[in-house]
Amino acid sequence: MIRVALVDDHPALVAGLTTVLRHEPGIVPVGSAVDLAEAEHLVYTTHPDLVLLDYHLPRGDGLQFCHRLKTDAPAPKVLIFSAYADARLGFAARAAGADGLASKGAPAPELFEVIRRVARGERVLPPLTPELLREASSRLDPEDAPLLSLLVDGTVPRDISATLRLHPAEVETRVRRVLSRLRIELAATEAPGATAANR
Amino acid sequence: MPDYPSRWSPRHLAADRWIGLFGLTRATAILIAVGLLAVHRVTSYDVLLAVVVLGYGTVTIGLVLRHPGVLRQPLAWAVDLGVALALIAVSDDWRSPFYLLALTALAPPSVALPFRRALTVGAAFTVAYVAVAVLTGLDLTTLSSSIRLETLATHLVLPGVVTVGLAYAADVLRRLARERERTERLAVEAERRRIAWELHDSAKQRLHAAHLVLSVLPHSETLELGLEHLRGATADMETSIAELRSPLGGRPLEAVLRERASELDLLAGATEVSVLGSAPRLPPSAVAHTYRIIAEAMSNAVQHADADRVQVRLSADGETLHASVEDDGRGLPERLRPGANGLLNMHSRAFAIGARLTIDSPSPAGGTRVRLVVPPVPSEGATP
Repeated sequence: MIRVALVDDHPALVAGLTTVLRHEPGIVPVGSAVDLAEAEHLVYTTHPDLVLLDYHLPRGDGLQFCHRLKTDAPAPKVLIFSAYADARLGFAARAAGADGLASKGAPAPELFEVIRRVARGERVLPPLTPELLREASSRLDPEDAPLLSLLVDGTVPRDISATLRLHPAEVETRVRRVLSRLRIELAATEAPGATAANR
Repeated sequence: MPDYPSRWSPRHLAADRWIGLFGLTRATAILIAVGLLAVHRVTSYDVLLAVVVLGYGTVTIGLVLRHPGVLRQPLAWAVDLGVALALIAVSDDWRSPFYLLALTALAPPSVALPFRRALTVGAAFTVAYVAVAVLTGLDLTTLSSSIRLETLATHLVLPGVVTVGLAYAADVLRRLARERERTERLAVEAERRRIAWELHDSAKQRLHAAHLVLSVLPHSETLELGLEHLRGATADMETSIAELRSPLGGRPLEAVLRERASELDLLAGATEVSVLGSAPRLPPSAVAHTYRIIAEAMSNAVQHADADRVQVRLSADGETLHASVEDDGRGLPERLRPGANGLLNMHSRAFAIGARLTIDSPSPAGGTRVRLVVPPVPSEGATP
Protein backbone atom coordinates (compact mmCIF):
# COMPACT_ATOMS: atom_id res chain seq x y z
CA MET A 1 0.00 0.00 0.00
CA ILE A 2 1.59 3.30 -1.16
CA ARG A 3 0.17 6.33 0.64
CA VAL A 4 0.41 9.40 -1.61
CA ALA A 5 0.06 13.08 -0.64
CA LEU A 6 -0.75 15.51 -3.46
CA VAL A 7 0.63 19.04 -3.56
CA ASP A 8 -0.80 20.99 -6.49
CA ASP A 9 -2.60 24.29 -6.69
CA HIS A 10 -4.87 23.39 -9.60
CA PRO A 11 -8.22 22.05 -8.33
CA ALA A 12 -9.17 20.30 -11.58
CA LEU A 13 -5.92 18.36 -11.66
CA VAL A 14 -6.06 17.48 -7.95
CA ALA A 15 -9.62 16.16 -8.37
CA GLY A 16 -8.60 14.12 -11.42
CA LEU A 17 -5.51 12.73 -9.69
CA THR A 18 -7.41 11.82 -6.55
CA THR A 19 -10.01 9.97 -8.60
CA VAL A 20 -7.57 7.93 -10.67
CA LEU A 21 -5.30 7.17 -7.70
CA ARG A 22 -8.24 6.02 -5.57
CA HIS A 23 -9.25 3.51 -8.24
CA GLU A 24 -5.74 2.11 -8.61
CA PRO A 25 -5.14 -0.89 -6.39
CA GLY A 26 -2.13 -0.53 -4.08
CA ILE A 27 -2.11 3.29 -4.16
CA VAL A 28 -4.07 5.45 -1.73
CA PRO A 29 -4.31 9.25 -1.88
CA VAL A 30 -4.15 10.51 1.71
CA GLY A 31 -4.93 14.15 1.03
CA SER A 32 -4.04 17.22 -0.99
CA ALA A 33 -2.58 20.67 -0.40
CA VAL A 34 -2.68 23.77 -2.60
CA ASP A 35 0.36 25.59 -1.21
CA LEU A 36 3.49 24.95 0.83
CA ALA A 37 2.00 25.88 4.21
CA GLU A 38 -0.83 23.38 3.71
CA ALA A 39 1.62 20.87 2.28
CA GLU A 40 3.80 21.01 5.38
CA HIS A 41 0.79 20.42 7.59
CA LEU A 42 -0.40 17.57 5.34
CA VAL A 43 2.97 15.80 5.39
CA TYR A 44 3.46 16.08 9.16
CA THR A 45 -0.05 14.89 9.96
CA THR A 46 -0.45 12.05 7.45
CA HIS A 47 3.17 10.79 7.10
CA PRO A 48 2.74 9.72 3.46
CA ASP A 49 5.11 7.28 1.74
CA LEU A 50 5.29 9.53 -1.27
CA VAL A 51 4.66 13.21 -1.99
CA LEU A 52 3.54 14.06 -5.53
CA LEU A 53 4.80 17.64 -5.71
CA ASP A 54 3.90 20.22 -8.34
CA TYR A 55 7.04 22.07 -9.40
CA HIS A 56 5.38 25.46 -9.91
CA LEU A 57 3.60 26.50 -6.76
CA PRO A 58 2.19 29.91 -5.90
CA ARG A 59 4.04 31.63 -3.05
CA GLY A 60 6.77 29.04 -2.83
CA ASP A 61 9.36 26.98 -4.58
CA GLY A 62 8.75 23.27 -5.13
CA LEU A 63 12.50 22.54 -5.27
CA GLN A 64 13.20 24.14 -1.88
CA PHE A 65 10.30 22.27 -0.33
CA CYS A 66 11.54 19.03 -1.84
CA HIS A 67 14.98 19.60 -0.33
CA ARG A 68 13.44 20.33 3.07
CA LEU A 69 11.32 17.15 2.94
CA LYS A 70 14.31 15.04 1.98
CA THR A 71 16.45 16.31 4.89
CA ASP A 72 13.80 15.14 7.38
CA ALA A 73 14.02 11.74 8.98
CA PRO A 74 12.16 9.65 8.02
CA ALA A 75 11.84 11.38 4.65
CA PRO A 76 8.98 10.54 2.30
CA LYS A 77 9.75 9.77 -1.33
CA VAL A 78 9.27 12.88 -3.45
CA LEU A 79 8.05 12.77 -7.03
CA ILE A 80 8.22 16.12 -8.84
CA PHE A 81 5.19 16.59 -11.07
CA SER A 82 5.33 19.15 -13.86
CA ALA A 83 3.92 20.03 -17.26
CA TYR A 84 7.48 20.80 -18.35
CA ALA A 85 9.16 17.57 -17.29
CA ASP A 86 12.34 17.77 -19.38
CA ALA A 87 15.98 16.90 -18.78
CA ARG A 88 16.76 20.33 -17.34
CA LEU A 89 13.99 20.16 -14.77
CA GLY A 90 15.09 16.56 -14.09
CA PHE A 91 18.53 17.86 -13.25
CA ALA A 92 17.16 20.51 -10.87
CA ALA A 93 14.92 17.88 -9.25
CA ARG A 94 17.93 15.61 -8.79
CA ALA A 95 19.88 18.43 -7.11
CA ALA A 96 16.93 19.03 -4.77
CA GLY A 97 17.06 15.37 -3.77
CA ALA A 98 13.83 14.31 -5.53
CA ASP A 99 13.31 10.60 -6.21
CA GLY A 100 11.56 11.03 -9.50
CA LEU A 101 10.11 13.29 -12.15
CA ALA A 102 6.74 12.72 -13.80
CA SER A 103 5.07 14.65 -16.60
CA LYS A 104 1.58 16.04 -16.17
CA GLY A 105 0.95 15.01 -19.75
CA ALA A 106 1.70 11.32 -19.18
CA PRO A 107 -1.20 8.82 -19.17
CA ALA A 108 -2.26 7.47 -15.79
CA PRO A 109 -0.74 3.94 -16.17
CA GLU A 110 2.66 5.56 -16.72
CA LEU A 111 2.19 7.69 -13.63
CA PHE A 112 1.22 4.61 -11.55
CA GLU A 113 4.33 2.85 -12.81
CA VAL A 114 6.58 5.76 -11.80
CA ILE A 115 4.90 5.97 -8.37
CA ARG A 116 5.49 2.22 -7.80
CA ARG A 117 9.12 2.34 -8.91
CA VAL A 118 9.87 5.37 -6.73
CA ALA A 119 8.09 3.75 -3.76
CA ARG A 120 10.31 0.66 -4.23
CA GLY A 121 13.36 2.90 -3.84
CA GLU A 122 14.32 3.53 -7.47
CA ARG A 123 15.27 6.98 -8.72
CA VAL A 124 13.24 7.77 -11.83
CA LEU A 125 15.03 10.79 -13.27
CA PRO A 126 16.39 11.66 -16.72
CA PRO A 127 20.05 10.64 -17.01
CA LEU A 128 22.72 13.00 -15.77
CA THR A 129 24.81 14.35 -18.66
CA PRO A 130 27.98 16.48 -18.63
CA GLU A 131 26.14 19.12 -20.70
CA LEU A 132 23.44 19.48 -18.06
CA LEU A 133 25.98 19.78 -15.28
CA ARG A 134 27.93 22.36 -17.25
CA GLU A 135 24.85 24.39 -18.09
CA ALA A 136 23.69 24.35 -14.46
CA SER A 137 27.16 25.23 -13.11
CA SER A 138 27.28 28.22 -15.44
CA ARG A 139 24.28 29.66 -13.60
CA LEU A 140 25.98 29.40 -10.18
CA ASP A 141 28.69 31.28 -8.36
CA PRO A 142 31.94 29.38 -9.04
CA GLU A 143 32.34 28.58 -5.32
CA ASP A 144 29.03 26.69 -5.37
CA ALA A 145 30.05 24.28 -8.17
CA PRO A 146 31.50 21.60 -5.80
CA LEU A 147 28.33 21.78 -3.73
CA LEU A 148 26.22 21.17 -6.84
CA SER A 149 28.25 18.08 -7.73
CA LEU A 150 27.76 16.71 -4.22
CA LEU A 151 24.03 17.45 -4.37
CA VAL A 152 23.46 15.64 -7.69
CA ASP A 153 25.47 12.72 -6.33
CA GLY A 154 22.87 12.46 -3.58
CA THR A 155 25.23 13.31 -0.72
CA VAL A 156 23.38 13.94 2.55
CA PRO A 157 23.85 17.40 4.17
CA ARG A 158 25.93 16.01 7.07
CA ASP A 159 28.46 14.54 4.64
CA ILE A 160 28.41 17.72 2.55
CA SER A 161 29.35 19.83 5.57
CA ALA A 162 32.13 17.36 6.45
CA THR A 163 33.50 17.28 2.88
CA LEU A 164 33.39 21.04 2.30
CA ARG A 165 34.31 21.83 5.95
CA LEU A 166 31.36 24.11 6.32
CA HIS A 167 28.99 24.63 9.23
CA PRO A 168 25.66 22.79 8.62
CA ALA A 169 23.78 26.13 8.72
CA GLU A 170 26.13 27.52 6.05
CA VAL A 171 25.52 24.40 3.94
CA GLU A 172 21.77 24.97 4.20
CA THR A 173 22.10 28.61 3.12
CA ARG A 174 24.21 27.66 0.15
CA VAL A 175 21.93 24.80 -0.89
CA ARG A 176 19.00 27.19 -0.86
CA ARG A 177 20.99 29.60 -3.00
CA VAL A 178 21.93 26.86 -5.50
CA LEU A 179 18.35 25.63 -5.75
CA SER A 180 17.00 29.12 -6.32
CA ARG A 181 19.46 29.55 -9.21
CA LEU A 182 18.43 26.22 -10.73
CA ARG A 183 14.79 27.25 -10.70
CA ILE A 184 13.58 27.33 -14.27
CA GLU A 185 11.59 30.47 -14.80
CA LEU A 186 8.53 30.35 -16.98
CA ALA A 187 6.85 33.71 -17.23
CA ALA A 188 3.49 32.15 -18.03
CA THR A 189 3.48 30.11 -14.87
CA GLU A 190 3.99 33.09 -12.61
CA ALA A 191 0.91 34.83 -11.36
CA PRO A 192 0.70 38.23 -13.12
CA GLY A 193 1.20 40.12 -9.86
CA ALA A 194 4.14 37.98 -8.81
CA THR A 195 6.18 38.71 -11.92
CA ALA A 196 5.83 42.44 -11.51
CA ALA A 197 6.78 42.26 -7.83
CA ASN A 198 9.88 40.18 -8.53
CA ARG A 199 11.36 42.71 -10.91
CA MET B 1 9.17 63.98 -33.04
CA PRO B 2 5.70 64.34 -34.59
CA ASP B 3 5.04 61.90 -37.39
CA TYR B 4 3.95 64.20 -40.18
CA PRO B 5 1.29 63.03 -42.61
CA SER B 6 2.48 62.88 -46.22
CA ARG B 7 -0.30 65.14 -47.54
CA TRP B 8 -2.35 67.90 -46.04
CA SER B 9 -6.09 67.58 -45.46
CA PRO B 10 -8.47 69.18 -42.94
CA ARG B 11 -8.35 65.93 -40.97
CA HIS B 12 -4.57 66.03 -40.78
CA LEU B 13 -4.64 69.68 -39.81
CA ALA B 14 -6.90 68.89 -36.87
CA ALA B 15 -4.59 66.02 -35.91
CA ASP B 16 -1.47 68.12 -36.16
CA ARG B 17 -2.22 71.67 -35.08
CA TRP B 18 1.46 72.50 -35.13
CA ILE B 19 1.48 72.65 -38.94
CA GLY B 20 -1.55 74.93 -38.98
CA LEU B 21 -0.05 77.14 -36.30
CA PHE B 22 3.22 77.38 -38.20
CA GLY B 23 1.43 78.36 -41.42
CA LEU B 24 -0.68 80.94 -39.61
CA THR B 25 2.30 82.52 -37.83
CA ARG B 26 4.25 82.74 -41.05
CA ALA B 27 1.30 84.25 -42.93
CA THR B 28 0.94 86.86 -40.16
CA ALA B 29 4.68 87.68 -40.28
CA ILE B 30 4.49 88.15 -44.06
CA LEU B 31 1.37 90.33 -43.91
CA ILE B 32 3.06 92.48 -41.25
CA ALA B 33 6.17 92.77 -43.46
CA VAL B 34 4.07 93.80 -46.48
CA GLY B 35 2.08 96.22 -44.30
CA LEU B 36 5.28 97.84 -43.01
CA LEU B 37 6.60 98.15 -46.56
CA ALA B 38 3.35 99.84 -47.59
CA VAL B 39 3.24 102.28 -44.67
CA HIS B 40 6.91 103.25 -44.57
CA ARG B 41 9.31 103.76 -47.36
CA VAL B 42 12.10 101.36 -46.47
CA THR B 43 14.06 101.09 -49.72
CA SER B 44 13.75 102.34 -53.25
CA TYR B 45 12.51 98.90 -54.37
CA ASP B 46 9.76 98.30 -51.78
CA VAL B 47 7.25 96.99 -54.36
CA LEU B 48 9.69 94.37 -55.61
CA LEU B 49 10.44 93.31 -52.01
CA ALA B 50 6.70 93.03 -51.22
CA VAL B 51 6.14 90.85 -54.30
CA VAL B 52 9.13 88.65 -53.47
CA VAL B 53 8.11 88.15 -49.84
CA LEU B 54 4.47 87.44 -50.75
CA GLY B 55 5.60 84.92 -53.37
CA TYR B 56 8.13 83.29 -51.07
CA GLY B 57 5.61 83.14 -48.21
CA THR B 58 2.92 81.55 -50.39
CA VAL B 59 5.34 78.98 -51.77
CA THR B 60 6.75 77.99 -48.35
CA ILE B 61 3.36 77.78 -46.63
CA GLY B 62 1.98 75.76 -49.56
CA LEU B 63 4.98 73.46 -49.46
CA VAL B 64 4.62 72.86 -45.72
CA LEU B 65 0.91 72.09 -46.04
CA ARG B 66 1.46 69.68 -48.93
CA HIS B 67 4.64 68.05 -47.66
CA PRO B 68 4.86 68.62 -43.90
CA GLY B 69 7.97 66.41 -43.93
CA VAL B 70 10.09 69.37 -45.11
CA LEU B 71 9.76 70.82 -41.61
CA ARG B 72 12.25 68.16 -40.56
CA GLN B 73 14.79 68.75 -43.34
CA PRO B 74 17.98 70.57 -42.21
CA LEU B 75 18.48 71.72 -45.81
CA ALA B 76 15.05 73.38 -45.81
CA TRP B 77 15.86 75.10 -42.49
CA ALA B 78 19.14 76.41 -43.87
CA VAL B 79 17.51 77.71 -47.07
CA ASP B 80 14.65 79.34 -45.16
CA LEU B 81 16.94 81.03 -42.61
CA GLY B 82 19.28 82.11 -45.42
CA VAL B 83 16.44 83.69 -47.40
CA ALA B 84 15.12 85.48 -44.28
CA LEU B 85 18.57 86.88 -43.43
CA ALA B 86 19.10 87.85 -47.09
CA LEU B 87 15.78 89.75 -47.04
CA ILE B 88 16.93 91.58 -43.90
CA ALA B 89 20.24 92.39 -45.61
CA VAL B 90 18.61 93.79 -48.77
CA SER B 91 16.15 95.85 -46.72
CA ASP B 92 19.26 97.78 -45.73
CA ASP B 93 18.54 98.15 -41.99
CA TRP B 94 18.77 95.75 -39.09
CA ARG B 95 15.33 96.97 -37.90
CA SER B 96 13.92 95.17 -40.91
CA PRO B 97 10.25 94.40 -41.66
CA PHE B 98 11.43 90.82 -42.31
CA TYR B 99 12.68 90.20 -38.79
CA LEU B 100 9.45 88.40 -37.76
CA LEU B 101 9.69 86.18 -40.86
CA ALA B 102 13.22 85.22 -39.77
CA LEU B 103 11.86 84.32 -36.32
CA THR B 104 9.28 81.97 -37.88
CA ALA B 105 12.12 80.31 -39.82
CA LEU B 106 13.69 79.46 -36.45
CA ALA B 107 10.63 77.49 -35.32
CA PRO B 108 11.06 74.22 -37.30
CA PRO B 109 14.65 73.49 -36.15
CA SER B 110 13.76 74.50 -32.57
CA VAL B 111 10.96 71.94 -32.48
CA ALA B 112 12.73 69.12 -34.33
CA LEU B 113 16.18 69.23 -32.73
CA PRO B 114 17.16 68.06 -29.26
CA PHE B 115 17.14 70.87 -26.67
CA ARG B 116 20.87 71.72 -26.72
CA ARG B 117 21.23 71.66 -30.48
CA ALA B 118 18.16 73.91 -30.79
CA LEU B 119 19.89 76.37 -28.47
CA THR B 120 22.96 76.26 -30.71
CA VAL B 121 20.82 77.09 -33.73
CA GLY B 122 19.31 80.06 -31.83
CA ALA B 123 22.77 81.33 -30.87
CA ALA B 124 24.06 80.87 -34.42
CA PHE B 125 21.13 82.86 -35.73
CA THR B 126 21.89 85.73 -33.34
CA VAL B 127 25.51 85.79 -34.51
CA ALA B 128 24.42 85.76 -38.17
CA TYR B 129 21.94 88.52 -37.42
CA VAL B 130 24.66 90.68 -35.83
CA ALA B 131 26.80 90.08 -38.94
CA VAL B 132 23.92 91.21 -41.19
CA ALA B 133 23.35 94.23 -38.93
CA VAL B 134 27.02 95.22 -39.21
CA LEU B 135 26.88 94.65 -42.97
CA THR B 136 23.85 96.94 -43.36
CA GLY B 137 25.66 99.60 -41.36
CA LEU B 138 25.14 99.42 -37.62
CA ASP B 139 25.58 103.11 -36.91
CA LEU B 140 26.99 103.23 -33.39
CA THR B 141 26.12 106.90 -32.93
CA THR B 142 22.42 106.20 -33.35
CA LEU B 143 22.63 103.72 -30.48
CA SER B 144 23.13 106.51 -27.95
CA SER B 145 19.37 106.70 -27.70
CA SER B 146 18.23 104.25 -25.03
CA ILE B 147 15.15 103.33 -27.10
CA ARG B 148 17.35 102.29 -30.04
CA LEU B 149 19.60 100.41 -27.67
CA GLU B 150 16.63 98.60 -26.21
CA THR B 151 15.38 97.73 -29.70
CA LEU B 152 18.73 96.23 -30.58
CA ALA B 153 18.82 94.26 -27.32
CA THR B 154 15.32 92.92 -28.01
CA HIS B 155 16.31 91.92 -31.55
CA LEU B 156 19.35 90.07 -30.23
CA VAL B 157 17.59 88.28 -27.36
CA LEU B 158 14.33 87.36 -29.05
CA PRO B 159 15.74 84.48 -31.20
CA GLY B 160 17.10 82.86 -28.02
CA VAL B 161 13.75 83.23 -26.25
CA VAL B 162 11.87 81.73 -29.23
CA THR B 163 14.19 78.74 -29.59
CA VAL B 164 14.32 78.03 -25.84
CA GLY B 165 10.55 78.22 -25.49
CA LEU B 166 9.77 76.07 -28.51
CA ALA B 167 12.54 73.55 -27.85
CA TYR B 168 11.45 73.16 -24.23
CA ALA B 169 7.80 72.65 -25.19
CA ALA B 170 8.73 70.18 -27.93
CA ASP B 171 10.97 68.28 -25.52
CA VAL B 172 8.16 67.99 -22.98
CA LEU B 173 5.75 66.80 -25.67
CA ARG B 174 8.22 64.21 -26.93
CA ARG B 175 8.73 62.90 -23.39
CA LEU B 176 4.99 62.77 -22.84
CA ALA B 177 4.50 60.80 -26.06
CA ARG B 178 7.29 58.38 -25.12
CA GLU B 179 5.86 57.93 -21.65
CA ARG B 180 2.39 57.28 -23.02
CA GLU B 181 3.77 54.76 -25.50
CA ARG B 182 5.64 53.01 -22.70
CA THR B 183 2.55 52.89 -20.49
CA GLU B 184 0.50 51.45 -23.33
CA ARG B 185 3.16 48.85 -24.09
CA LEU B 186 3.37 47.85 -20.45
CA ALA B 187 -0.41 47.54 -20.27
CA VAL B 188 -0.45 45.30 -23.34
CA GLU B 189 2.36 43.17 -21.93
CA ALA B 190 0.60 42.83 -18.58
CA GLU B 191 -2.57 41.80 -20.38
CA ARG B 192 -0.73 39.19 -22.43
CA ARG B 193 0.92 37.82 -19.30
CA ARG B 194 -2.45 37.61 -17.61
CA ILE B 195 -4.00 35.70 -20.53
CA ALA B 196 -1.01 33.37 -20.71
CA TRP B 197 -1.24 32.74 -17.01
CA GLU B 198 -4.96 31.99 -17.22
CA LEU B 199 -4.44 29.60 -20.11
CA HIS B 200 -1.70 27.86 -18.21
CA ASP B 201 -3.34 27.92 -14.85
CA SER B 202 -6.82 26.88 -15.81
CA ALA B 203 -7.43 25.59 -19.32
CA LYS B 204 -4.22 23.59 -19.64
CA GLN B 205 -4.58 22.01 -16.21
CA ARG B 206 -8.10 20.89 -17.13
CA LEU B 207 -6.76 19.29 -20.30
CA HIS B 208 -4.13 17.47 -18.24
CA ALA B 209 -6.82 16.33 -15.80
CA ALA B 210 -9.12 15.13 -18.60
CA HIS B 211 -6.23 13.26 -20.24
CA LEU B 212 -5.26 11.67 -16.94
CA VAL B 213 -8.80 10.56 -16.06
CA LEU B 214 -9.52 9.15 -19.54
CA SER B 215 -6.18 7.36 -19.70
CA VAL B 216 -7.27 4.85 -17.02
CA LEU B 217 -10.12 3.56 -19.23
CA PRO B 218 -9.59 0.22 -21.01
CA HIS B 219 -7.73 0.66 -24.30
CA SER B 220 -9.60 1.11 -27.56
CA GLU B 221 -8.88 2.80 -30.86
CA THR B 222 -11.49 5.49 -30.21
CA LEU B 223 -10.03 6.28 -26.81
CA GLU B 224 -6.52 6.45 -28.25
CA LEU B 225 -7.70 8.95 -30.87
CA GLY B 226 -9.41 11.05 -28.19
CA LEU B 227 -6.26 11.05 -26.04
CA GLU B 228 -4.17 12.00 -29.04
CA HIS B 229 -6.46 14.99 -29.66
CA LEU B 230 -6.18 16.01 -26.03
CA ARG B 231 -2.39 15.84 -26.27
CA GLY B 232 -2.53 17.90 -29.48
CA ALA B 233 -4.73 20.50 -27.78
CA THR B 234 -2.27 20.69 -24.89
CA ALA B 235 0.62 21.20 -27.31
CA ASP B 236 -1.33 23.90 -29.19
CA MET B 237 -2.05 25.67 -25.93
CA GLU B 238 1.62 25.42 -25.04
CA THR B 239 2.48 27.19 -28.30
CA SER B 240 -0.09 29.90 -27.65
CA ILE B 241 1.25 30.45 -24.16
CA ALA B 242 4.81 30.64 -25.46
CA GLU B 243 3.65 33.16 -28.08
CA LEU B 244 1.87 35.30 -25.52
CA ARG B 245 5.05 35.38 -23.50
CA SER B 246 6.63 36.66 -26.77
CA PRO B 247 10.18 35.39 -26.29
CA LEU B 248 11.38 37.30 -29.36
CA GLY B 249 11.26 40.71 -27.71
CA GLY B 250 12.57 42.50 -30.80
CA ARG B 251 15.75 40.42 -30.98
CA PRO B 252 17.04 39.26 -34.38
CA LEU B 253 15.72 35.94 -35.66
CA GLU B 254 19.10 34.19 -35.75
CA ALA B 255 19.77 35.07 -32.09
CA VAL B 256 16.48 33.59 -30.89
CA LEU B 257 16.97 30.51 -33.08
CA ARG B 258 20.50 29.96 -31.70
CA GLU B 259 19.10 30.18 -28.21
CA ARG B 260 16.44 27.58 -29.06
CA ALA B 261 19.10 25.40 -30.74
CA SER B 262 21.30 25.36 -27.64
CA GLU B 263 18.23 24.52 -25.55
CA LEU B 264 17.44 21.58 -27.84
CA ASP B 265 21.12 20.55 -27.80
CA LEU B 266 20.96 20.39 -24.05
CA LEU B 267 17.68 18.49 -23.89
CA ALA B 268 18.29 16.08 -26.76
CA GLY B 269 21.82 15.17 -25.71
CA ALA B 270 22.89 13.13 -28.72
CA THR B 271 21.62 15.49 -31.42
CA GLU B 272 23.74 18.40 -32.61
CA VAL B 273 21.73 21.45 -33.65
CA SER B 274 23.43 24.36 -35.40
CA VAL B 275 22.23 27.64 -36.88
CA LEU B 276 24.25 29.26 -39.67
CA GLY B 277 23.90 32.65 -41.35
CA SER B 278 21.64 35.55 -40.52
CA ALA B 279 18.25 36.84 -41.57
CA PRO B 280 17.27 40.14 -43.21
CA ARG B 281 15.10 42.54 -41.27
CA LEU B 282 11.47 41.41 -41.36
CA PRO B 283 8.30 42.88 -39.86
CA PRO B 284 7.70 41.65 -36.26
CA SER B 285 4.71 39.43 -37.14
CA ALA B 286 6.69 37.73 -39.93
CA VAL B 287 9.60 37.19 -37.54
CA ALA B 288 7.29 35.60 -34.94
CA HIS B 289 5.73 33.18 -37.46
CA THR B 290 9.07 32.38 -39.08
CA TYR B 291 10.55 31.63 -35.68
CA ARG B 292 7.69 29.25 -34.83
CA ILE B 293 7.93 27.45 -38.17
CA ILE B 294 11.69 26.90 -37.90
CA ALA B 295 11.50 26.03 -34.19
CA GLU B 296 8.81 23.42 -34.96
CA ALA B 297 10.96 21.95 -37.74
CA MET B 298 13.94 21.83 -35.38
CA SER B 299 12.08 20.05 -32.60
CA ASN B 300 10.45 17.63 -35.08
CA ALA B 301 13.93 16.67 -36.27
CA VAL B 302 15.12 16.19 -32.70
CA GLN B 303 12.06 14.43 -31.32
CA HIS B 304 10.64 12.36 -34.15
CA ALA B 305 13.31 11.99 -36.84
CA ASP B 306 15.98 10.52 -34.55
CA ALA B 307 18.60 12.72 -36.25
CA ASP B 308 22.26 13.10 -35.25
CA ARG B 309 22.69 16.48 -36.86
CA VAL B 310 20.20 19.26 -37.54
CA GLN B 311 21.38 22.24 -39.53
CA VAL B 312 19.48 25.49 -39.89
CA ARG B 313 20.67 27.85 -42.63
CA LEU B 314 19.51 31.43 -42.98
CA SER B 315 20.36 33.76 -45.83
CA ALA B 316 19.11 37.03 -47.21
CA ASP B 317 18.32 37.60 -50.88
CA GLY B 318 17.67 41.33 -50.85
CA GLU B 319 14.91 41.64 -48.29
CA THR B 320 13.71 38.06 -48.81
CA LEU B 321 14.61 35.42 -46.24
CA HIS B 322 15.67 31.96 -47.39
CA ALA B 323 15.73 29.45 -44.57
CA SER B 324 16.29 25.72 -44.54
CA VAL B 325 16.27 23.07 -41.83
CA GLU B 326 18.01 19.82 -42.80
CA ASP B 327 18.53 16.71 -40.72
CA ASP B 328 20.04 13.27 -41.25
CA GLY B 329 17.20 11.44 -39.51
CA ARG B 330 14.82 8.79 -40.77
CA GLY B 331 12.89 11.08 -43.13
CA LEU B 332 9.18 11.68 -43.39
CA PRO B 333 6.85 8.87 -42.27
CA GLU B 334 4.52 7.24 -44.84
CA ARG B 335 1.50 8.17 -42.80
CA LEU B 336 1.36 11.01 -40.34
CA ARG B 337 0.48 10.29 -36.73
CA PRO B 338 -3.21 10.88 -36.06
CA GLY B 339 -3.73 14.27 -34.46
CA ALA B 340 -0.23 15.39 -35.40
CA ASN B 341 -0.87 19.00 -36.26
CA GLY B 342 2.68 20.32 -36.11
CA LEU B 343 3.05 20.23 -39.91
CA LEU B 344 -0.42 21.67 -40.38
CA ASN B 345 0.45 24.55 -38.07
CA MET B 346 3.66 25.18 -40.00
CA HIS B 347 1.76 25.42 -43.28
CA SER B 348 -0.95 27.71 -41.92
CA ARG B 349 1.69 30.01 -40.38
CA ALA B 350 3.55 30.15 -43.71
CA PHE B 351 0.29 31.00 -45.45
CA ALA B 352 -0.41 33.78 -42.94
CA ILE B 353 2.80 35.63 -43.83
CA GLY B 354 2.75 34.82 -47.54
CA ALA B 355 5.77 32.54 -47.27
CA ARG B 356 6.51 29.44 -49.36
CA LEU B 357 7.09 26.26 -47.35
CA THR B 358 8.27 22.95 -48.80
CA ILE B 359 9.01 19.80 -46.83
CA ASP B 360 10.64 16.84 -48.52
CA SER B 361 13.16 14.03 -48.17
CA PRO B 362 15.82 14.80 -50.78
CA SER B 363 17.70 11.51 -50.64
CA PRO B 364 16.34 7.95 -50.39
CA ALA B 365 18.81 7.29 -47.57
CA GLY B 366 16.72 9.45 -45.27
CA GLY B 367 16.79 12.93 -43.85
CA THR B 368 14.24 15.67 -44.08
CA ARG B 369 14.59 19.08 -45.64
CA VAL B 370 12.32 21.97 -44.76
CA ARG B 371 12.65 25.05 -46.93
CA LEU B 372 11.04 28.38 -46.23
CA VAL B 373 11.06 31.55 -48.34
CA VAL B 374 9.70 34.63 -46.57
CA PRO B 375 9.14 37.68 -48.79
CA PRO B 376 9.32 41.18 -47.30
CA VAL B 377 5.76 42.21 -46.56
CA PRO B 378 4.98 45.42 -48.46
CA SER B 379 4.84 48.24 -45.94
CA GLU B 380 1.47 49.89 -45.37
CA GLY B 381 2.67 53.09 -46.96
CA ALA B 382 3.31 51.33 -50.29
CA THR B 383 -0.20 49.92 -50.64
CA PRO B 384 -2.79 52.58 -51.44
